[in-house]
Amino acid sequence: MAKIWLKNIRYVYGGKRRKGAEALKGIDLVFEDGCAGALLGPSGCGKTTLLNLISGLLKPTEGKVFFNDTDVTDLSPEERNIAQLFQFPVVYDSIDVYGNLAFPLRNRKLLENEIKERVIEIAKIIGIEQFLRDNPRKLNAGQRQLLALGRGLVRKDTAIILLDEPMTQLDLHQRWFLRKELKKIQQRLNMTMIYVTHDQYEALSFAEKIVVMKDGNIVQEGTPETLYDYPNTSFVGWFIGTPGMNIYNFSIKDTMLDFNDFKINMPQNMKEILKGRTGMLQLGIRPEYVRYSKEEAKEGFFLTKLISIENMGYFKVLTFKVGDTVIKGKVLREVEINEGQETWVSITEDEVNLRIYENGVLITK
Amino acid sequence: MGIKVVNITKKYKNKTILDNLSLEIIKGSFTTILAPTGAGKTTLLRIMAGIEKATEGKVYYDGVDVTDLPVQKREISMVFQEFINYPSLTVYENIASPLRVLNKKYSKTEIDEKVKQIAQRLKISHLLKRLPGEISGGEQQRTAIARALVKGSKFIFLDEPLGNLDYKLREELRTDLKTIFKGCTVIYATPEPVDALSMSTHIAFLNAGKIIQYGQANDVYLKPSSIEVGYHFSDPFMNMLECNLVKNDKKCFIKVGEEEKFILNSIKFENRLKEGEYIIGIRPQDFKINEEESDGLSFKGKIDFLESTVSTVTLGLQWENKELVCINNNRDFQFNVGEEVKIFVNFENCFIFDKKTRKLVIANGEFVSPTIEN
Repeated sequence: MAKIWLKNIRYVYGGKRRKGAEALKGIDLVFEDGCAGALLGPSGCGKTTLLNLISGLLKPTEGKVFFNDTDVTDLSPEERNIAQLFQFPVVYDSIDVYGNLAFPLRNRKLLENEIKERVIEIAKIIGIEQFLRDNPRKLNAGQRQLLALGRGLVRKDTAIILLDEPMTQLDLHQRWFLRKELKKIQQRLNMTMIYVTHDQYEALSFAEKIVVMKDGNIVQEGTPETLYDYPNTSFVGWFIGTPGMNIYNFSIKDTMLDFNDFKINMPQNMKEILKGRTGMLQLGIRPEYVRYSKEEAKEGFFLTKLISIENMGYFKVLTFKVGDTVIKGKVLREVEINEGQETWVSITEDEVNLRIYENGVLITK
Repeated sequence: MGIKVVNITKKYKNKTILDNLSLEIIKGSFTTILAPTGAGKTTLLRIMAGIEKATEGKVYYDGVDVTDLPVQKREISMVFQEFINYPSLTVYENIASPLRVLNKKYSKTEIDEKVKQIAQRLKISHLLKRLPGEISGGEQQRTAIARALVKGSKFIFLDEPLGNLDYKLREELRTDLKTIFKGCTVIYATPEPVDALSMSTHIAFLNAGKIIQYGQANDVYLKPSSIEVGYHFSDPFMNMLECNLVKNDKKCFIKVGEEEKFILNSIKFENRLKEGEYIIGIRPQDFKINEEESDGLSFKGKIDFLESTVSTVTLGLQWENKELVCINNNRDFQFNVGEEVKIFVNFENCFIFDKKTRKLVIANGEFVSPTIEN
């Protein structure tokens, strides 16, 4: 078991001199021992590069990697005692499930009875003990990933588990199954597990610490609640949540907030925070806090057209439009409302849930 | 009018992929072929488009037999899961390319007008001078879709076009596709229930080489005709519980497990329901937690699994050696693994399937008449 400490990491593909191929631009990061962590970001943000630096598949151009207090920067992947899951499960179909689990131990010349004990222990943890004598082909895609994980866990000195988008090849039902099993295993073994994904749902549901990355930098790190409720940039607000946070540019005109396509009175609690601001201002509001009404209602509501309703099963996404501005709302599926309707909308009704950004940075507490 | 496939069978060596399948796609509809992985949806799409030939059966476009018409002569477009663009051509030239090879000659200004119009619809106007390698995956897929749309094809086929996209791009494009394709006839293949439900006007559910249900999207969702459709057309999947229907002189009730008794309005169902074994299907979002009303089923159990994405919590509840999954949107609820909770579902939200025939019998509290099936 180990804590991971990344110190001032830079990584440039093709060597130091090349400009523009800088995949990581100075990363300082700690994952505590036993942490369920996630590296989250869009394609090209550097998350996989960072994972490969932890596993030792890549060496940093600058900076150091520590496991606990040991500098492992120059160690090979084998010397780092890491287990890794990839998009495709790495499993040998030519030997049975038992043989797959025993393989890493046989390589280390353990006694057969020791191997047997350990294989059965791990098979129980990953929930495939009834398949030990079967060919791995008999397992479904989720169980094959678990078997690949088991091969990593079977060595007693495995310090860290890295998961590189392990759900990519799975369908909906298998994704649920594997998410559940991975989380149980993490909680049971209390091992440091780092999950890399572009899928905010997977990150939020798996990790206690999420690191959001963009363009080779860390944008924000924190618990799922922190990222959801207090995204420190408009990017994180948009990236986390389904749909993401609505973000609108506005300027202050006397006591009004001018959003170009609509104007509203400045909410009470914003007067203090907006005083003297000169930068680019943005207001962020999560879709579930957008309020709407079929009739002209209270102060703060403005007229929009409901252009689309998407049924997502357990909720509906409403898309309102006013001028060129699109506003996303989120409601429980029971709500009766029709597409094409003129609808009154408020984005400032729920004052405590408003977030204000100046030049992209959160200024509300 | 639209597309009609009649008695399509497709075999590879001795394996039957599509089994005497018939389906009609209505003109102007957004029809999703929803199917679990490996059910044959890509094969069906390719046969409809003319990329592949059926072993047996006929394909009609607007009433005309096109079974033997090569794909180049059909007025169709297709978008695949992989983003297929010409890497050496700009986004503009990629979109314009289908117009340059058509028999009908377009003038330079006509082409320019069409390309710009489509680019605007797909929100890629600012990228027209770039190469595909210089834009994101989502933008590349938008380019491929623009190319499919530009020549005004009669039918547009989409084979899991969101499959290779990042979560956020997928979410954005999903919303946009619905608007972009308004008025076009679109046939869309996917295994994802949320894509099917949120975008389509019609859904054809394919399983083991057959269309087992076809109808308007909402109707299929609210009345899944069989256990297979119910289980797959739900995110997460539908809870399925075995039960027994018992009748005595005055009452008609359902026994779920040892203790639960679920009394049906006997007058309403008496003559139409037989005693015997049934399956109750419950979507995870239809459970209410620690709330109880009169007309429904409740279960008490320990939480053995919790998954939170801040705005929603998914619980796994242990009940009589089964796991019941429920979703909750209320952030104020705080749960812990091991805690005992009570969950409740209204009778109206229960789907009751006949265990033997696997067909839907009761939905929305009403007896179900058989839906259109092949």
